Amino acid sequence: MRGTGILFRMALRSLASHKVKSLIVGSIMLFGTALVVVGTALLDSVEAGMQQSITKSLSGDLQMYDSEAKDDLALFGGMAMGADDYGEVPDFARVQTVVEAVPGVEAVVPMGIGLATMSRGSELDRTLDALRQAARAGTIAGEQGQALVARLERLIDLLRTELINSRALLQDTTEVDAQIASIERARGDAFWAEFAADPVAALDFLDSKVAPAGGEGLLYYLRYLGTDLDQFARYFDRFRIVEGEPVPTGHRGLLINQRFADSQLKLKVARLLDDIHDAMTQNGARIATDPALTAKARQVASLYGAISLMLSPEDAHATETELRRALGITDGTLDTLLEALLTVDDANFAERYALFYDLIGPRITLYPYRVGDVVTLRAWTRRGYMKSVNVKVYGTFKFEGLERSELSGAANLVDLMTFRDLYGQMTAAQEEELRAIREEVGLEHVGRADAEAAFFGGDADSQVTGAEAFGTFDEMHPPTSDERSDERPSEAARRTITDETFTREQMLDGVVLNAAVILDRDAQGGTGDIEVARVRVQAAVDAAGLKLKVVDWRAASGIIGQFVLVVRGVLILAIGIIFIVALVIINNSMLMATLERVREIGTLRAIGAQRSFVQAMVMIETLVLGLLSGTAGAGLGAGIITWMGHVGLPATSDILVFLFSGPRLRPTFGASHLLIALVVILIVSLISTWYPARIATRVQPVEAMGDA
Amino acid sequence: MTTHTETPEAAPIVELIGVTKDYPLGKLTVPALRGIDLAIARGDFIAIAGPSGSGKTTLLNLVGCVDVPTAGAVRIGGQTTGELKETQLTSLRLHKLGFIFQTFNLVGVLNVFQNIELPLLLQGGLSKTERERRVAEMIEKVDLTPQTRQRPNELSGGQRQRVAIARALVTRPAIVMADEPTANLDSGTGGAIIELMKEINRVDHTTFIFSTHDAHVMSHARRLVELVDGRIVSDRAPDRQAQPEGA
Ligand SMILES: Nc1ncnc2c1ncn2[C@@H]1O[C@H](COP(=O)(O)OP(=O)(O)OP(=O)(O)O)[C@@H](O)[C@H]1O
Ligand SMILES: [Mg+2]
Repeated sequence: MRGTGILFRMALRSLASHKVKSLIVGSIMLFGTALVVVGTALLDSVEAGMQQSITKSLSGDLQMYDSEAKDDLALFGGMAMGADDYGEVPDFARVQTVVEAVPGVEAVVPMGIGLATMSRGSELDRTLDALRQAARAGTIAGEQGQALVARLERLIDLLRTELINSRALLQDTTEVDAQIASIERARGDAFWAEFAADPVAALDFLDSKVAPAGGEGLLYYLRYLGTDLDQFARYFDRFRIVEGEPVPTGHRGLLINQRFADSQLKLKVARLLDDIHDAMTQNGARIATDPALTAKARQVASLYGAISLMLSPEDAHATETELRRALGITDGTLDTLLEALLTVDDANFAERYALFYDLIGPRITLYPYRVGDVVTLRAWTRRGYMKSVNVKVYGTFKFEGLERSELSGAANLVDLMTFRDLYGQMTAAQEEELRAIREEVGLEHVGRADAEAAFFGGDADSQVTGAEAFGTFDEMHPPTSDERSDERPSEAARRTITDETFTREQMLDGVVLNAAVILDRDAQGGTGDIEVARVRVQAAVDAAGLKLKVVDWRAASGIIGQFVLVVRGVLILAIGIIFIVALVIINNSMLMATLERVREIGTLRAIGAQRSFVQAMVMIETLVLGLLSGTAGAGLGAGIITWMGHVGLPATSDILVFLFSGPRLRPTFGASHLLIALVVILIVSLISTWYPARIATRVQPVEAMGDA
Repeated sequence: MTTHTETPEAAPIVELIGVTKDYPLGKLTVPALRGIDLAIARGDFIAIAGPSGSGKTTLLNLVGCVDVPTAGAVRIGGQTTGELKETQLTSLRLHKLGFIFQTFNLVGVLNVFQNIELPLLLQGGLSKTERERRVAEMIEKVDLTPQTRQRPNELSGGQRQRVAIARALVTRPAIVMADEPTANLDSGTGGAIIELMKEINRVDHTTFIFSTHDAHVMSHARRLVELVDGRIVSDRAPDRQAQPEGA
């Protein structure tokens, strides 16, 4: 184009002489560019954070599962609350061999997700357990032993009252009458004489005749992920043991998710106090002004009764003394003191929170399990019968950086053998035996989905009372009293765990539901690399005739993985709308500027400028403006991101902790963000100037004539 | 009709043959020129006179190739303008013609030098030094050297018209059109502009065609064509004495 130099000169001069127009259009372009830079950089940072959260906690880079699965894999929970059907992968060892041979694949980690109830026996069960240990150690006569005996007597009294009350509501009272008779015997002096002489025999009696009446204790729903725990700890970088120890290689064991424990298992009053504490310290919320906190504070105060019941007599006494001193209250019972302690407001909360954990915390059971406990996991196997497994709690774990995220509590970890037991994989002999039993009792086959629907009902709360849960079980499988006692073996038997260890081969050889594919560290770059690897792994499993679907971490994580896509869509929409508005404004002001310049354009045409020159003149003017304000805008955007990266964006909610992969997002930007923003703004400039430029080219040379 | 030319053997540089120009005005058409036959020789210095609305500007626009006739033909250097495409007409304006506007029509965002340089840039082909030399020479000729870097709004009317003349002449066109070049100037300044045009005509043999109301200005022409209602009513050498305007 001839006269390009003069075009730029004219563009700059023209911009300078139409200052208001240039300023308006320029600032729109500037903010538009800054928005694109900030928006895309933030989004990419969130995506990278989310990728960290998901891939380093549960999913790995890729996931494989049954290609004929009815539901899409949702590692962080799907719609059906554990009833999702992911099909199964029958022969994991083969899958592992095939996929680990694919270049770029570092490891394949077996997995299986399920939902079980966890129980640890009632208060009575646990007291009996402790007494049995004391009897074995010969310390029953000691101070602690006597405290246990005192508690036992109290619990038996409570149970008696409970049974007598429930008897009034029953038609068939034979069973209850027998239980009450046993309890009456246990309350007699003769029994305690026997107890002193032979504690073990007395405990056996209590275990088999009295404890069953006390029910199962509290049941908790627990979502578990069965896996190769050694591999898991190795390849999922965010995994950290919080308390206790990892499950030793070749042993069965449960690791409880600390986040799950804190938000679901922990004693309600403590959970509420924690919630208030977090909201106040992290988000600066106030009980007086935040309606949710006001409600929680009120609820806390109403829960004093639950605490006094949990205190042993001597603890109750000590607590009362200490509370009186701390609160400066001289009269009233322990209950009134506890109520006073738990009556919190903005002024006293910090002090009361500390008092609760100093004075009460150590004396009550904050969590329904302790590290080292053996708990019973029960789940409906896919064949529709209930399976119980006793498993030791080795410890608790967290995903580092994601502690505050509810999503990081999505699964607890068990070894793969326990998973298979709960899943119901059996040897051929076991299957035959089961079939025989079924025929004998005439139990119909119950579909897994139906069973779980009935089992879990519609209630999403993790905690159910034993009585409720068993009520539901009874509808499914009405037990005779014989069966019932079979289902509830003696305390000693119930707490037995298998001492059998397993070899690595045994663990890998068998069914899993899905498997995580970990890519080589240096290959784990962008989404593109992962997609290449996904296609390669899919090709390898297809070639080996394995019926597997290979999906990336995003697809495997469930709804949460789609989050960034949705946000990206919203952002693009927002940017689109902003740019359409910008387009209209730029178009209008350029059109007006063009109309103001008709004489000048006519003059140029009259002295010999071609239409193309005029068009270029108008376009270059916008382009120059776009380039200048776009560069400034990209600079501004880069500045904002740098500043955000410096101070960090606080994750103010649980979901943000997960998306940010930590308590703060420190976004970064790359050249691509600046480039994309510049290209976008230049395209917008060109589009918005197309029409004014067309109008300008239509100006006739005669229009130079006439009055100024 | 007779032609006044110093080189009678040469073909006329501008020829109008039976030219009419009608302007549409709603459903009506306004006849601006009605059958003009006119031949202009190379190097002539010719004034178009006539009352307001007689068609002077229309005639200059047709010769200046910023418009085409409704009927008849306009030939510039032997080329019929009605047969040329738009880009060719534009190119003709750029290379062969120069325009001096009544209202100067300088590009406000460019300074004196840049305004004068503009047609050369549009033409292309000259080296930067050659171009700058030509522009400087032109500025010298119109006596604006001290104002070289000034913008049009920093100049007087006479200075602006001199810039316009320089811009029209810098490409060394064969024909220069000037539509009432002195109408917006006081008589002294107007006289100086006419003198400048005469000087260039004498030295470079550039053909000048200008319209005017001013009898004094007419008297400088070598040939005077008078229009009334779109027709040529007289074509003669002007009176050498300044006379009152009007017929
Ligand atoms: N664009 C146009 N549309 C319609 N009619 C026009 C147009 N331009 C000129 N005319 C008409 O054509 C006729 C000739 O106009 P022109 O401008 O050529 O006259 P003129 O001799 O230059 O007058 P003046 O001395 O006032 O400049 C007039 O009647 C005028 O009204
Ligand atoms: Mg006129």
